[in-house]
Amino acid sequence: MLVLTRRIGERIRIGDDVTVQVLEVRGGQVRLGLAAPAEIRIFREEIYRAIETQNRSARLPDPESLTGAAQAWQEYAVDKRG
Amino acid sequence: MTSAAEHAGESRGPASAGSLRISSRRFGTIDVLSDQVLHFSHGLIGFPGVRRFVVLEHRPGSPFKWMLCLDDPDLAFAVAEPADLVRDYHPPLELAARLLSTDPADIGVFVIVTIPSDPLSMTVNLMAPIVVDLHSREARQLVLEDGRLGVAHRVICRPGGGAPAP
Repeated sequence: MLVLTRRIGERIRIGDDVTVQVLEVRGGQVRLGLAAPAEIRIFREEIYRAIETQNRSARLPDPESLTGAAQAWQEYAVDKRG
Repeated sequence: MTSAAEHAGESRGPASAGSLRISSRRFGTIDVLSDQVLHFSHGLIGFPGVRRFVVLEHRPGSPFKWMLCLDDPDLAFAVAEPADLVRDYHPPLELAARLLSTDPADIGVFVIVTIPSDPLSMTVNLMAPIVVDLHSREARQLVLEDGRLGVAHRVICRPGGGAPAP
């Protein structure tokens, strides 16, 4: 991993189009300003991981699992109306 | 909001010009029209390299739809239009329209459904819905930075079954 030291207000450029600026350092927190083209997606790491994990566990193992869900939903919807 | 499913339609007829055939070990053989294909130009988080999906109706009376991958025929998800499963969810139509350079009226929204071995515990991912430009068929999985929206929101809440996940 490349490690750089920057002062408040200084920037790092990644490639030609992405800049990261240190805006504020307070307590144990660092505020960063990121500028990148719209097609570059920027995530907090933990949010990216949460969605990656959820997407992977949402993968359907077989067609029957959807049948089971539809049945469960139908019974629930009938209960709710009744 | 226009019904995305209406536009996605169902597979019809045998494979012919302008149609594609998906042959899957798990999900069988399905013919789809090439103009039904959704293009995820940014891919799907956790599944690098897959870009093309098709959304098909499940069966009459079911709120679910299949989202089948054309680049990996054994990859499939259950999706649904959020209004069919959850209340008080406001799909990010404006944001989606801006990102896809279209009009909010032309945006279709799906949520991915996670179905565990006990289907009563199924959840929907409200934090990362799938949005589709119904004309260009360009699709994205958005990431909404709203602390109230979870990746695993319980769909079925039964009395005594605990509160739905946030």
